[in-house]
Amino acid sequence: MLWGSFMGRNNTEIKKKVFIFVIGCFIGTMLLIGRLIYIMVFQSEYYQKLADELHERERNIKAARGEIVDRNGLVLAANRTVCTISVIHSQIEDEKRVIEVLANELGMDREAVEKKVTKISSREKIKSNVDKEIGDRIREYNLAGVKVDEDYKRYYPYGSLASKVMGFTGADNQGIIGLEVQYDEYLMGTDGKILTETDAAGVERENVVEKRIEAIQGDTLVTTIDYNIQEYATQAALKVLEEKQANYVSIIIMNPQNGEIYAMVNVPEFDLNNPYELNYENDITGGEELQNALNRMWRNQCINDTYEPGSTFKIITATAGIETGVVTTNSTFSCPGFKIVEDRRIRCHKVAGHGAETFVQATMNSCNPVFIEVGLRIGKERYFEYLEKLGILSKTGIDLPGEAGTIMHKIENVGDVELATMSFGQSFQITPLQLLRAASAVINGGTLVTPHFAIRTVDVDGNVTNEFQYEAQSGAISKDTSETMKYILEQVVSEGGGIKGQVEGYRIGGKTATSEKLPRGSAKYIASFIGYAPADNPEVIAICIIDEPVGIYYGGTIAAPVISNVYSNILPYLGIERAVTNTEE
Amino acid sequence: MSKKGYIKRKWDMSLLVTVIFLVCFGLVMVYSTSSYEAAMKFNDSAFYLKKQLIATALGVLVMFFTATINYHVWKRFAIIGYLLTIVCILLVMTPLGIEANGARRWIGVKSFSFQPAELAKLAIIIFFAAFLSKKPNLVNKLGTSITMLFYAGLIALMILVITKNLSSAIIIAGIAYIMMIVASKKSKWYIVVAVALCAIAVGGLLLAGGYRLKRIRVWLEPEAYAQEGGFQTLQALYALGSGGLFGKGLGQSVQKLGFVPEAQNDMVFSIICEELGIFGGIAIIILFAFMIWRFMAIANNAEDLFGTLIVIGIMAHIALQVVLNIAVVTNTIPNTGITLPFISYGGTSTVFIMAEMGLALSVSKGKKIRRQVITDEEA
Repeated sequence: MLWGSFMGRNNTEIKKKVFIFVIGCFIGTMLLIGRLIYIMVFQSEYYQKLADELHERERNIKAARGEIVDRNGLVLAANRTVCTISVIHSQIEDEKRVIEVLANELGMDREAVEKKVTKISSREKIKSNVDKEIGDRIREYNLAGVKVDEDYKRYYPYGSLASKVMGFTGADNQGIIGLEVQYDEYLMGTDGKILTETDAAGVERENVVEKRIEAIQGDTLVTTIDYNIQEYATQAALKVLEEKQANYVSIIIMNPQNGEIYAMVNVPEFDLNNPYELNYENDITGGEELQNALNRMWRNQCINDTYEPGSTFKIITATAGIETGVVTTNSTFSCPGFKIVEDRRIRCHKVAGHGAETFVQATMNSCNPVFIEVGLRIGKERYFEYLEKLGILSKTGIDLPGEAGTIMHKIENVGDVELATMSFGQSFQITPLQLLRAASAVINGGTLVTPHFAIRTVDVDGNVTNEFQYEAQSGAISKDTSETMKYILEQVVSEGGGIKGQVEGYRIGGKTATSEKLPRGSAKYIASFIGYAPADNPEVIAICIIDEPVGIYYGGTIAAPVISNVYSNILPYLGIERAVTNTEE
Repeated sequence: MSKKGYIKRKWDMSLLVTVIFLVCFGLVMVYSTSSYEAAMKFNDSAFYLKKQLIATALGVLVMFFTATINYHVWKRFAIIGYLLTIVCILLVMTPLGIEANGARRWIGVKSFSFQPAELAKLAIIIFFAAFLSKKPNLVNKLGTSITMLFYAGLIALMILVITKNLSSAIIIAGIAYIMMIVASKKSKWYIVVAVALCAIAVGGLLLAGGYRLKRIRVWLEPEAYAQEGGFQTLQALYALGSGGLFGKGLGQSVQKLGFVPEAQNDMVFSIICEELGIFGGIAIIILFAFMIWRFMAIANNAEDLFGTLIVIGIMAHIALQVVLNIAVVTNTIPNTGITLPFISYGGTSTVFIMAEMGLALSVSKGKKIRRQVITDEEA
């Protein structure tokens, strides 16, 4: 029996070997379990981290931009929901249809869309700032690989109101000009993040708890702008712009005591919601020409451009004269209609001359020979000292970008002729705002304020996050000089050249100017008027500049009524009490 | 048939229950690991599950068939099976061969395909069991041993060269080797030869360099060689690492979402660990260990040497695949592409593994001691 013999002899040996093999297997499995424990317990953190890095996809949540509000909380710049359309190449199934739908809905060139859709990238942006309705429509197609992300776009409810002050934002919601760029860091907010898990193809997984870091909306910027005043001033400026067919009209209305700007108008304004469309009829198709035209359109003439101030600058000369004591209100002069300085014969605007006049009368008459005389008496060193003190030689420090600097003679190059022309506001250039600031210092008792728009920033919950502080340099001139100047400037409006700047029931001070643009003889003028109220205790100061009016171009005739018009509306609005008339006193 | 003089036994129920559990668990894991990829590729999340279900159903039928009939029947098919295997492997080179994932390993027509390597494992087990049990003493002779090793080596070599399937070749050689060592009285020589072969293999590897050596470098530093092939291993390690103690929960694996390539195949164990944690992983390992223990019990109590050797062959097959698979997943050895029995996706392997389980059950049911009874039955 073969089997029998086998069983007896070999079975135990085989059993032994099988047992050894099984023990070997068990040792093997124990080792593997050990290895498993090492990886899954002790190395777990390491591999988990690597795996998470592999799976997690970061997506930004755009923060809503902070609003810009006027001094009463009225929203001047808000946000509107728009969509960003992008494609994820690896997820696209029907490339042709995606291209077709996107090109149609977005009104884009088919080739341009095709280029982006076929590009192998993890995520390709097709178009941003797409209207929400279009975005919703695209979403409804349910195309694989097409992503519609909601986003915010700047929206300006009042269109062109204070366009050159406000500024606008670009495709990525960044500020481009104006307050939008000046306060970009406060307005822009902090983008949030969504961490999602994705599969190997980068497809986000559904039903996975997202790690979400919420976006923080940018802070609200509270400005000094008063919507009503800005609106009144804009209407008044538009009216005169049309009447005088002027190039542009600028109006600045400011609190002379602290530099808060209530309104800054530069008509024609442009549409903030369409900042890349020119605000006039044109056949410019694009390129550099369009960019230059846009840059011109966006200029804020109140601060970006300089001009020869002309007679309004006599405020500065008069102040320096009185402060240095070279002239008093009672000083008498005689104007023959011209004054010879060195070899030059400088004419007065009244060819026949003003004859004998006091300094007050000379100011009311805006008499050039008298101011030449005063300027020469002051001398260039002292004159420049007061220019410095009144901020004419430095920028105002306004919180807007691109403020222009003064174009002024070097003091060592100033001879009598230069000093003579400077004393009635010619042969140098400043910005309207610089003049307004200097005039403010003259009438507020000698404090050189910093004109500004921003008051504070407030977060979404209403907590004040920043309170802006501005420099105010007192002691530029003495209080007495200031009082004297207020008296003189009130006379200018009540009886002198600024008579059309009067506002019924209010005491107004001011000064007019008519400057001929360079080159002389071009018959292009700038008419302007600075006026403040109340004359004895100024609470508001305004300047109006009319560039290249057609027809009558005298500042006293065309610019003063603009301010008068605005004042008659806003002085009651500002709560400035009507003055008791002199006769009743 | 309860005649006096022999003991009637039933199937080894613990093995059967373990097999059924593993098969069901395997289906769950195949669905869990493949549904995402299936949905992406075929728009049908159950694509792989359906195919695996069909294979499993067939496998269960085959298992009960082989479990029910007397395993001695297969002795007659030992040589035929061996030759059939060679024919099948050769067919891979004909137009009947099917190429998938860059490897030509299958034969078949249309939707029916078949991997000869899986047949080869079963054929080798039966062939060796039949051969070794017929003349047990011959095994101790050098000539016979060399002849036997040549038979096994031929199949292994064909699998390696023709189907470029190193892992199956290793398994086949391993099964044959273990069966020989158990049957032979000169085990020591086998061990000497094995050690010598290993030394030669390692030496050859270092000398040959190139492709194989790169695999070693990838094994040692998968992070540094992610682009050169460490990717799959690294992804498996990520899966293990993110599983932690208790796992992410069944179906919650992230790594199966295309990160672990073909997660339902070789790397399924990594996903089990990711979803069920280290406890799930260890539970599966213990289940396999228990299974091996049952094989030992069945082998020890087999009616005859043929039965014993069949079960030893099956045990070697399962043990090798499980140990090597988990060793690969845990990056304990270089990546070779060995599937995890019962759980990894694969029709042919499921059917043949189930056939082997049927054989083991059949052996467990066989009657001990009274040989005459069997002769009677056969007659």
